[in-house]
Amino acid sequence: MISLENVVKTYQTRKGDVNALSNISLRINKAEFVVICGPSGSGKTTLLMTVAGMLRPTSGVVSIEQNNLYAMSIRARAKFRAQNIGFVFQMFHLVPYLNAAENIVLAGVAVTSKNRKARTHDLIKKFGLVGRSYHRPYELSAGEKQRTAIARALLNRPKIILADEPTGNLDPDNATSVLGYLSDFHRSGGTVILATHGPTAERFADRIIYLRNGIADNSG
Amino acid sequence: MLILNLILKEIIHRKMNFLLSLLAVLTAVAFFICVFTAAKASERETARLMLSMGYNLHIIPNDTDMNQFLLSGLTNATMPEEYLEKLASPKGFSYNHLLATLQRKTLWRGFEVILTGLAPEVCPPGQKKPPMVHPIEPGTAYVGYIMADKLGLKKGDTIEIGGKSLKIAKCLFEQGGVDDIRIQCHLKDAQDILNLPGQISQIQAVDCLCFAPTNDPLSILRNEIASILPEARAFQMRPIAMARAGQRQMVRNLFAVITPFVVIVCGAWIGVLAMTNVRDRQQEIGIMRALGYGSEKVSAMFLGKAAIIGLIGAVLGFVIGTALALSFGPNIFKITAKTMIKPELTLFIWSVIAAPLFAAVSSFIPTMLAATCDPAVTLREE
Repeated sequence: MISLENVVKTYQTRKGDVNALSNISLRINKAEFVVICGPSGSGKTTLLMTVAGMLRPTSGVVSIEQNNLYAMSIRARAKFRAQNIGFVFQMFHLVPYLNAAENIVLAGVAVTSKNRKARTHDLIKKFGLVGRSYHRPYELSAGEKQRTAIARALLNRPKIILADEPTGNLDPDNATSVLGYLSDFHRSGGTVILATHGPTAERFADRIIYLRNGIADNSG
Repeated sequence: MLILNLILKEIIHRKMNFLLSLLAVLTAVAFFICVFTAAKASERETARLMLSMGYNLHIIPNDTDMNQFLLSGLTNATMPEEYLEKLASPKGFSYNHLLATLQRKTLWRGFEVILTGLAPEVCPPGQKKPPMVHPIEPGTAYVGYIMADKLGLKKGDTIEIGGKSLKIAKCLFEQGGVDDIRIQCHLKDAQDILNLPGQISQIQAVDCLCFAPTNDPLSILRNEIASILPEARAFQMRPIAMARAGQRQMVRNLFAVITPFVVIVCGAWIGVLAMTNVRDRQQEIGIMRALGYGSEKVSAMFLGKAAIIGLIGAVLGFVIGTALALSFGPNIFKITAKTMIKPELTLFIWSVIAAPLFAAVSSFIPTMLAATCDPAVTLREE
């Protein structure tokens, strides 16, 4: 279970403090598909990054299965993230000098070298990247890039996938395909938290959380 | 995936970035090698040029009539030739290039000449240097310009002086001084001609106190010489000694300022470049950290690349810098360059240690800053 208790995140800017998350408390159950909706600047990305252990909140507690993420050392948190969380970015964030297969393998810090190869091969097949596995990101279409990014997120068999606008740069067909992969992961027992400002993903959601000006409306 | 593998793939992917970085390190190292070589060569060249001003230390018998000596530059007093060996035997004294001479004004073929017998120059132990004057072979003579001109003498002629035949080995160019009426021969020949066996009239030398922290080098020299030869007196040609010391100190001081400056500039040059490279790759650091890589692996990737560039740049920079020094050195440092400018192993070792170190240390700060902050912050800086 993922738990946020009174989480506040304030960015300090030259023009003053900006509250990205205002006292957010929520619980997300194991194997739940949660969609976080809200307009740009509502705090969706900040929330996902905070849950992923990639952005320390100004105050509050973020726990995953009783593990207080920000009480861990940087190294321990990185290891925990590698073992438990997969992250899919809107901008893909693939390493430009590695081909698709290498980008997927790159995530394999938490799996043994032998399993990593076999697992990468399986994921390449599953995500329809067989003919593209030796291509670099600039040679891939947006859909292929995002499929590579999802495969990378799944390499370590995480329990949780956090997806930040994963369909934001995709055409409708590719967007549906990507949401299908995330739905498959959810059906196999994984937890998905997906941030979006559009309605496309809502049909896959067990629960929708609306975020506006850093304040969560959990009623959905 | 091995860190080295990632580094190599990145280098291949960003060839131009790698080549430009390499070029910058190479240029910095080559520049440093050139300046350092020039500094050393310049010191050596100055020292040799200053030697051409002549001997600045004179050791003469105690009973020399100083008035006569200062008027004519000659003394009729003599001292035993063994004094030369005595002066040359101690280690660590402040003089070098010891030259024993026997000189007399004499009438020869209707002209007043100065007959000078020269012993081969000797150096004290551990201070071996090339001689300032070339030794004259026994049975030969060097004839001054005016004498050769007036008497129509030329190389290969045989002259007779004091009943001794000497073959002319060289007719000297015009010097504009007393050397133009001098006949130089080996010390033994002069002793035979003047009937003064085993005697010399003075020992000339060069002091080695150019960099000594003293305002009174003559006292040091007199004390040292008096401890070996109480029967002789020493005096210094002060203008020559001061000019020599001043010039050598000026060159050394100049490069003492320039060299650290060049080291700092070259180091900063490499450093700024390495920092820029890391700053350009912030996103990668964010991705690696988001994927669960620890800061040590991320740092190894960036510091490894910096070290590789530093190492290759240092080797190439050393080769190019040395090649430039070897090509242009002889045109600038005409006396010493041919024998003294050569590839220096010490410089090579310093280069291959310092350049990768500068590059890695400079990369270290931005890498650690990026690797230790939250991945989301690094990714946002994209």
